[in-house]
Amino acid sequence: MSLSNLIKNWSSLRVKRPYEGQYKDKDYKWAMVIDLDACTGCNACTTACYAENNLPVVGKEAFSKGQAMHWIRIERYWGEGDALPKFPERGAQFLPMLCQQCESAPCEVVCPVGATHHTPDGLNSQVYNRCIGSRYCSANCPYKVRYFNWWQYPERAWPNPLEQQLNPDVTVRSKGVMEKCTFCVQRLVEAKNRARTEGRKVEDGEVTTACAQACPTSAITFGNLADSKSQVAKMWERQQIDLAKDKQEKSDENMRGYRIFEDLRTYPSIVYMERIRDLQA
Amino acid sequence: MSSNKIDRRDFLRVLGISGAAATLAGCGNTSIESGAELVESYVQPEDFVVPGVGVYYASTCTQCGSGCGIMGRVREGRILKLEGNPKSAISGGKICGLGQAGVQMHYNPDRLTKPMLREGDGLKVVSWDKAMGVLNARLGSKSTLSGQQIAFLTGEISGHQKVLLANFLESFGSTNHVVYDALSPVVGHGANKAVYGVEQPVLQIDKARLILSFGNDFLGTGPSPVRMAAQYARFRKAPRGTLIQIEPRMTLTGANADRWYAIRPGTEGVLALGLAHSLLQHPEFAHSIPQELAAALKPYDKETVAEITGINADAIPHMASLLWEKSPSLVISGPSAEGHVHGFSNATAIHLLNLILDNRGKTLQGQANHPFPQLSPAFGSYTALAQLNQAMSAGKCEALLIMGCNPAFTAPTFVPFANNMGKVPFKVAFTTQLDETSRQCDLVLPILSPLEDFGTHVAGYQPAGVELMIQQPLMEKLYPETRGIGDILIDLLKQRKPDAYKAFPDYYAYLKTAVVKAKPVFKVKESDDDFWEDALRNGVLRLDLPPAPIDARVAAIKVSAPQATEMGMQYPFYFVPSVKADLRDGRHANLPWLQESPDPMTSVAWDSWVEIHPTTATQMQIREGDILEVQSATGSVRAKAYLFPGIQPDTVSMPVGQGHTGYGRYADGIGANPFKILDPNFDEQTGELAMYSTRVIIKKTGENAKMIKDEGPTTLQQGRKLVVTMAADQAELAKEITRVTQ
Amino acid sequence: MKVHIKNILIWLSLCCFCSAALAEPFVQGGPIGSQTDDGFNALGPVVEQPIEFPHKTHAGNGPGQMNINCMYCHTYARRSNVSGIPRLDKCIGCHKMIESVRDKPRIKKLFEYWEKKKPIPWKKVHDLPDFVRFNHERHIQRFYFREHRPVREVCGYCHGDVGSMNTARRVKALSMGWCVSCHQKEHLENASTTKTSNGPNDCWQCHK
Repeated sequence: MSLSNLIKNWSSLRVKRPYEGQYKDKDYKWAMVIDLDACTGCNACTTACYAENNLPVVGKEAFSKGQAMHWIRIERYWGEGDALPKFPERGAQFLPMLCQQCESAPCEVVCPVGATHHTPDGLNSQVYNRCIGSRYCSANCPYKVRYFNWWQYPERAWPNPLEQQLNPDVTVRSKGVMEKCTFCVQRLVEAKNRARTEGRKVEDGEVTTACAQACPTSAITFGNLADSKSQVAKMWERQQIDLAKDKQEKSDENMRGYRIFEDLRTYPSIVYMERIRDLQA
Repeated sequence: MSSNKIDRRDFLRVLGISGAAATLAGCGNTSIESGAELVESYVQPEDFVVPGVGVYYASTCTQCGSGCGIMGRVREGRILKLEGNPKSAISGGKICGLGQAGVQMHYNPDRLTKPMLREGDGLKVVSWDKAMGVLNARLGSKSTLSGQQIAFLTGEISGHQKVLLANFLESFGSTNHVVYDALSPVVGHGANKAVYGVEQPVLQIDKARLILSFGNDFLGTGPSPVRMAAQYARFRKAPRGTLIQIEPRMTLTGANADRWYAIRPGTEGVLALGLAHSLLQHPEFAHSIPQELAAALKPYDKETVAEITGINADAIPHMASLLWEKSPSLVISGPSAEGHVHGFSNATAIHLLNLILDNRGKTLQGQANHPFPQLSPAFGSYTALAQLNQAMSAGKCEALLIMGCNPAFTAPTFVPFANNMGKVPFKVAFTTQLDETSRQCDLVLPILSPLEDFGTHVAGYQPAGVELMIQQPLMEKLYPETRGIGDILIDLLKQRKPDAYKAFPDYYAYLKTAVVKAKPVFKVKESDDDFWEDALRNGVLRLDLPPAPIDARVAAIKVSAPQATEMGMQYPFYFVPSVKADLRDGRHANLPWLQESPDPMTSVAWDSWVEIHPTTATQMQIREGDILEVQSATGSVRAKAYLFPGIQPDTVSMPVGQGHTGYGRYADGIGANPFKILDPNFDEQTGELAMYSTRVIIKKTGENAKMIKDEGPTTLQQGRKLVVTMAADQAELAKEITRVTQ
Repeated sequence: MKVHIKNILIWLSLCCFCSAALAEPFVQGGPIGSQTDDGFNALGPVVEQPIEFPHKTHAGNGPGQMNINCMYCHTYARRSNVSGIPRLDKCIGCHKMIESVRDKPRIKKLFEYWEKKKPIPWKKVHDLPDFVRFNHERHIQRFYFREHRPVREVCGYCHGDVGSMNTARRVKALSMGWCVSCHQKEHLENASTTKTSNGPNDCWQCHK
């Protein structure tokens, strides 16, 4: 973003996000719904992400230090309270956690070099060539979904010929760079380009993320929230979730949709659907 | 200095490397350069090849036996990623993590690139001419081997590879195709056959309102996990079905249950009979159950059953009442119920419930009878390996050919397969990578990876109709000196039976002829070539056949009472090996993505661990990371303790698949191999190894090490509302907008 | 569509070169900063190519020059992110008909490659850093197919007037500031309107 552009668009850039109708006239606002009742915790999404986004395998040593680079990870909880249940009688609680693409993202405001900022499509971008590795963004992220390259993975994660699997559409990140889930932006840009060439907008179902594509139970729905006819927009509406609100007013208590850490006013772009358990069983 | 040494195949590699090197440079090349990189052009490409645009080709996943249709994304001659093929009902356009990692098997840095021949203690690289010379000398036209003298040992295998292999053996007058699977489904199949008359009934998971699963991990390690996960997703939509899981150690499926019960290992059959006993109290079933069966069930009152199984007495009539309320139901048994001395009886007792509840034809159906049973897989068994081992030990086996299994790693200690290999004069391995078994062979032939080769597959579990899956190369072979197993077999068969095989220049020609011969079955009006092209394009040849009826009678069941194991003092713990959905029996431990994919239940990666119940751990003063020695009567292994609430307190569990010693850089030196401490207990009906009946003692070594795991310091939500749970009677699923495939 | 692997994979090959110069070299211009034939400042170095391809002869519109549309040979540019290098059979398709230049050293060299079915190892002249993903297709579609600008002008925005060069040379900055300066300009949306818009201003359009 050049200086002249910054000055020209100052008012729109300084505006407090999100606001009512922010994406009304926009072409795209990418968003997601994850149904926790359908998620089985099988990890297919994680591996699909490794394949699509050139995520490095960090190895035993780095993994034990918490340096795994899984842009989407499955968290597993045993309960709400403060003691482990004797037996987890209602099963485990799985949570696929990935960048929530917050509308008011805590990571964006702390980057000293503008390497992460909000795109017109409502994504938190991470620009590798601009990143200096201050890691402020990661420190400020309440979801802990930003991953730092502590090592020069291009030299060690893909011994020949494993590097031939690398997706040429995605940059391989080097040491000292922060990275995170991009909602498979390389696929989004490709779809948008194709649509633009054909003089239309991207249609619902035309593009999806690698995780949603792989998910054997179709627990992940991805789409364009700015398109009111899209599956994802309909699901948000039915679940009575308003992107621009930090406290949802639901007329129907039994709708399952919720956003994680909504009270932190991050305005995430991912709606989770509550897990269900038959307590009579 | 013109050099033509690099041939055209090499060039594909060169192109790949230079292309990837450009990517790899990543943030390395940060400036605008001119003349630093090459941009070779195509010479004469197909019109649809556009640089920078990915093309998808259909094929079949061979990472497990499910036979999922896949689509490979190919760019500039390289396979980049695998997706599900929507045209296959088995995968339904979806793919699991194990399937995704197929590309890492293909691009594995430890791939075998050249033939190797034994020379003294080691294996030495030789040319293919030399290798085939050795092979022909032993197994070619002059070979006098016959019958049991030659054995072909494989893992589960189907399709035309299986046929070709049988033809090869037949040329020696042999039928000695030995199929071995460390995680054999044979006990379950036998019990199914006894009760339902079919080995693998089709489970209509989505049609059930209640699923009662005795340790069946259909979402993780079942016969068709991707298909069953899709069915599970529909099962959870309105009207939402209920899943009850009963097992000693929580599996992935158990983690998704509405109600999970920890049961004492091996007592699953007793509980099933207890449930049948409870059902008798209900008037609807009281008269449908034959008198003699009712009499046989009498001893299984809830108090007795509770005593034996460790499950609360009140839970038994409660489960029974759910079974009759939520019809149709589906009761399934799994490995942890079947892997006991009385595993077969356990499974029949469990299946009995389906008959009492009359689930046949509703949630349980027979597989369609299809026109090419010869292509269906032969399932692996322990007994097959044990017999071969005996023959080898007696010096009766003169030539042993091995493909797709690794008994030196997976066979239990009391089957000294690796030692007995020394008594076989000629051992050949066909493999993509050296493993513990092939390292002991005399000749190791590097075969093409599944992403480079042709083939057909017919899954053993056909969920709807029948699918003949087509496997085709997704890229040119990486290494010039690798060959397809089909081509090697055709070469040998040309020696053995020249008249029958001279018409086929190669395996491709054989396969095409064979598939095209099946054209009449599919009732299409196409030329042979179009039929073949369509088969390759779609990746699947489908026949929509109706499910076969299940023929079974309650009276035909002989109820035997499985006995609970007495608590022994010397080995106080039950030992339950667990199977990670992606590593399986350890054959995928060489794939880095899967090593780094945390176990869903414990979040541990790159390691083995011992799961122990927190209460038991507290009693024994064991903390997480304490290195424990797990000792059985057969042997012992060491691993770190992990405190795991999803386990029966008298039980400890360890994952299989780790502990490799000769399987490449990603597998070696990781964790321990619990196959080696299994006790010699066998299912009394089938003779299969009873994998879940080993007893162990836990010893503290006094050492402690950091757990290699993904989860943070707490596994509790502590009011953060991360995963919110709603009661099923509150949820209004019918009002929701859902998206379910198929 | 044929899916047989033998059809989809194209035999490519690499070979080193006889360094003996068979042809008298073209005058390629001076060092970086000097004037090129078409009057721009050369910003990139002289890149020695395996065959000194005379763009001028093919795409120039002077006397004796062929004035061929750039996209006749660079056929992927309008269909893909990358323009690629013309396929070898494209060259041969014309040149097997052109008897008059058949014994010219450069053409002989071309046919040597063809007979061996080996690709020509061209060197990349316009090379961007690896974290930049320029999209040829969108630029061509926008300015050539929608706005109906002359093709030499459209390609020339970034490549200079290659039609007046022999072997191509980089004459534009290709730096981010240079890209953005054009993206900020108002461009007509198509040939029959006065409505304008500017290029995307999103980092993730090119960096991803």
